[in-house]
Amino acid sequence: MVTENRSYNAQKVIERLAKKVNRQMAGSLAACVHCGMCTQSCHYVLANPDDPTFAPAYKADRIRRLFKRHLDWTGRIIPWWVKAGSVYTDEELAELMDTVFGKCTNCRRCTLNCPMGVDLAVVNRMARGLLVSVGVMPEGVAVVSKDQWEIGNQMGVLKEDYLETLDWMSEELQQELKDPAVGIPIDKFDCEVVYSINPREVKYDPRSIADAAKIFHFAEENWTMPSEGWDMTNFGLFSGDDDLGGAVARRLYEKVEDLRGKKLVISECGHGYRSTRCEGPNWAKYDVPFEMESSVITMLRYIKEGRIKVDPSKNDISVTYHDSCNNARSCGMTEEPRELLSYVVKDFREMHPNRAENYCCTGGGGAMSMSEYTPRRLKSAVVKADQLRATGAGVVVTSCHNCVDGLTDLIRHYKLGMQVTQLVNLVANALVIEERVAIPVEIVPEVTAAGSLAGRKILVVDDEPDILTFFASVLADNGAEVIEAREGQEALLKARSEKPDLVTLDISMPGQDGGKVFEALRRDPDLALTPVCIITGRPELRRLIYDRPVPPPDGYLDKPVNEETLLLNVKKILKVV
Amino acid sequence: MSETLHFAEHRLQEMALLFMAIVYTLRIRWLLRFPAGKERQAPSGSRMITSKQGILNSWLNVAKPWAMESTRTRPFFYAQFVIFHLGVVASIGLSFVIPYLPSLLQSPLLVRLLQISIGAACLVGIIRMVRRLSVPVMRKISSPDDYFSLTLLTVWFFFAMLAVPNETAQGESILLIYFTLTAFFLIYVPFSKISHYLYYPFTRYYLGKTMARRGVLPQIRG
Repeated sequence: MVTENRSYNAQKVIERLAKKVNRQMAGSLAACVHCGMCTQSCHYVLANPDDPTFAPAYKADRIRRLFKRHLDWTGRIIPWWVKAGSVYTDEELAELMDTVFGKCTNCRRCTLNCPMGVDLAVVNRMARGLLVSVGVMPEGVAVVSKDQWEIGNQMGVLKEDYLETLDWMSEELQQELKDPAVGIPIDKFDCEVVYSINPREVKYDPRSIADAAKIFHFAEENWTMPSEGWDMTNFGLFSGDDDLGGAVARRLYEKVEDLRGKKLVISECGHGYRSTRCEGPNWAKYDVPFEMESSVITMLRYIKEGRIKVDPSKNDISVTYHDSCNNARSCGMTEEPRELLSYVVKDFREMHPNRAENYCCTGGGGAMSMSEYTPRRLKSAVVKADQLRATGAGVVVTSCHNCVDGLTDLIRHYKLGMQVTQLVNLVANALVIEERVAIPVEIVPEVTAAGSLAGRKILVVDDEPDILTFFASVLADNGAEVIEAREGQEALLKARSEKPDLVTLDISMPGQDGGKVFEALRRDPDLALTPVCIITGRPELRRLIYDRPVPPPDGYLDKPVNEETLLLNVKKILKVV
Repeated sequence: MSETLHFAEHRLQEMALLFMAIVYTLRIRWLLRFPAGKERQAPSGSRMITSKQGILNSWLNVAKPWAMESTRTRPFFYAQFVIFHLGVVASIGLSFVIPYLPSLLQSPLLVRLLQISIGAACLVGIIRMVRRLSVPVMRKISSPDDYFSLTLLTVWFFFAMLAVPNETAQGESILLIYFTLTAFFLIYVPFSKISHYLYYPFTRYYLGKTMARRGVLPQIRG
C-alpha cells in the first residue's frame, strides 16, 4: 500500500476503505464499463449539460480510482492505465467531499438506469462515510450528526419542547373536536401502534402531528407516541455513517420493545422510512421483532377496513404526487400513496416521469442542511420545476418531509405558485366526522389569526431587507408591535431600550454576528429571560449558538421560513394559543 | 496449414484459455473475499416478489430494453449494444469453429451471416470510438484501458470478419492475425474492463435481490 507523503486524514481514508467495501460495492466499483448510460438520468447533468463533472460515472470514478489503486489488481500495477489514483492531501479530500456531498443527492436514479447494475448511490454513500470518519464533511452535516448523536434527534429538539408540542397539539384537537377524550397518548404500554415522527414536525409542522392524532382517534386505534427515541429520521443515511445509523435505529427499536408495541408506524418521511424500515435493521444488526409500516399504508388500511370515512370533495384542489426517492427507488412504495390519493382527492394529475423514475426533489441526501451547495441545488432543480409545471396542478403532495422542504424552496425559486402538502393533511381534511354527543368542555376562546399577537412586542433582527420586511409584515399583520434591526449592535440597543417580548435573530450578519448578539442578550440581566428565536439560512452555523455557555434559544428555524411556520413558532414561544 | 497457424489455432488458444480461466478463478475468489453482509429487513413494497424472481429478473435485464429509461429512450444505442455483443459471441465462437468444426464454414449462408454479424459489430465499434472521443462526458470518464479495449475489439472484429471463410489459399496471415489477437484478447481481458461480464452476475444479483425484496424491481411504470 502506498503511504508516502500522505496527510493523516488521507492515510486514514485509505486504511478504512478496505473495511468499508463489501461485496456489492466491490462489484459496483469493478464493473463500470464507462458506457455513459447513467449520464442523462441525473438531474445535475440535465441542468448542467456542459459540465461533465456532474456525470454519475465521473463522480463514481472519484471514488473508484481509490478502490482501483489500493484494492484492485490492474490499478495497483499500472494505475494510469485504468485511471487509478490515491489521495494524499486534505485538499484532495475536500475536493472529494465537494463531489460526494455537493454533486449528488444519492437519489439512486442512475443506479436503476445502469445496465450493469452498478449501485452508484451506495458507492457515493460509502465515500461520504469514509470522509465523515475523518471529520471531512460540510459543516451542516457535522452539526446535524452531532445533534442526532447527542440530543437524540437531528434537529436538536429537546425533550421538553417535544412533549410540550404534543401537549399543545392535544389541546388544539380537544378544542377543534370539542372532545376532551381526544389526545396524544405518551408512553402507553401494549399498544397496537407506536407512532414515530420527524423532528421537523415538532419544529415546523406540528399540524401534521395533530392530523395524524385525529386520524388515529377516528380509527379508534390503540396507539401511543414514545417520550424518547421518537425520531424515525436518521442522518446516518445521508452522512454514510453506519454507526450513527445503527445507533439511531436501535434507539427507536428498543423504545418500541420497551413499550411492548405491536407495530411501529413511521410518519411520512422518505429517508426516515427507508432508514427505519429497510436499512436500520442491517446497520444496527437488529432482528426487529415487530412490524413496521409507513403511515401512508396505515391510513390506506383504515379506509379499506372502513375504520375511517373520507370525502374527496373536501379536498377541492388539483393535486399531483411527487415520489420521494427513498420511498420509490429504495422501498418500493409507489402504489399505496396513489391509491390513498384516489380516496381523498378528486382531481389527481400524474407527474411524468413518476414512481421509481421520478426526479429527485433536489433536497435529498441531506442537501437541505448543506447551505454552501444551495445555488447548485437550486440550479439543478430546474428539472423538477419543469416536471411540476407540466402537471398544471395547484398542489404537490409528497410523503417526505425532505421533499416538502426541497419542493417548497424550488417552487419559490422558480415562482411556480404551487402549494406542498402531505397525505396526512389531506386525509385528515377529508375525514367524515359523524355527529357525536357533545360533552361540554371548557373551551378556550379561539383567537383569530389577525390580532393573535396583539399586545406583543417583537424585535426582528435580520440584515436582509426583503426578509426583514417579510417577517415584520407577517407579525404586524397579526397584531404584533414590531421593531426592526439590521445589524447586531442596533439589535442590542433596541432590545435594551424597547424590552421586547420576543427577539427573532438572524445569525449571519455584518459586524456583530447573531451568535455574539445572542450571548449578549442572555448575559444581560434585564434581557436574559427574553425569548429568542434564531432564524438562519445557514444551519451549519447552529454551533455558534448552541456551543455558547448560556441557556439555549427558545426556538430555532431554518430559512426559508413561510408565513405559517413563522407564526406557528412565534405563537408557540409566546404561548399564544 | 503451416505449423505456425496450427499452433496459433490450437496450442496458443488453449494456453490463453487456461490462463484466462486461472485468472478468472482468482478474480472471483478475490471478489468473494469481500463480505456480503446479512439482509435483515422484512420485505417491503406493494408486491410480493421473491428474491429468486428478483435475481432472475435482474439477470435478464440485459434483454429487456423497456425495463430502463436509459435503454427505452435510446433504441439506437441499445441496438448498438446488441450488435456489438452478438459480434463478440460470433467472433469467440469462430475461434472454436475454425479449429474444431471447420466443416460448418462450408455453408456460404453461415459464412455470410457471421461476416455480417461481425462486420456490423466492427462498425458499431467505430461508432462507439467516435462517441467516446467526441462527447465531452465520455472523454472525461474514459481511461486508456477504455480506448485500448474498444480499439482491440474493433480491430479483432475486423480480422475475425476476414477470417470467417477460413481460407488459406491466399495466405495465412489473416487467420494468424485473428488467432493471435484472440489469444491476446483472452489474456488481456481479465485485467481490463472487458471482464465486466464476469461482474455482471454479481452486481445484478445483489441489485435484483435487494430491490425485489423492497418491491422496487421489476419497476412499475405509470
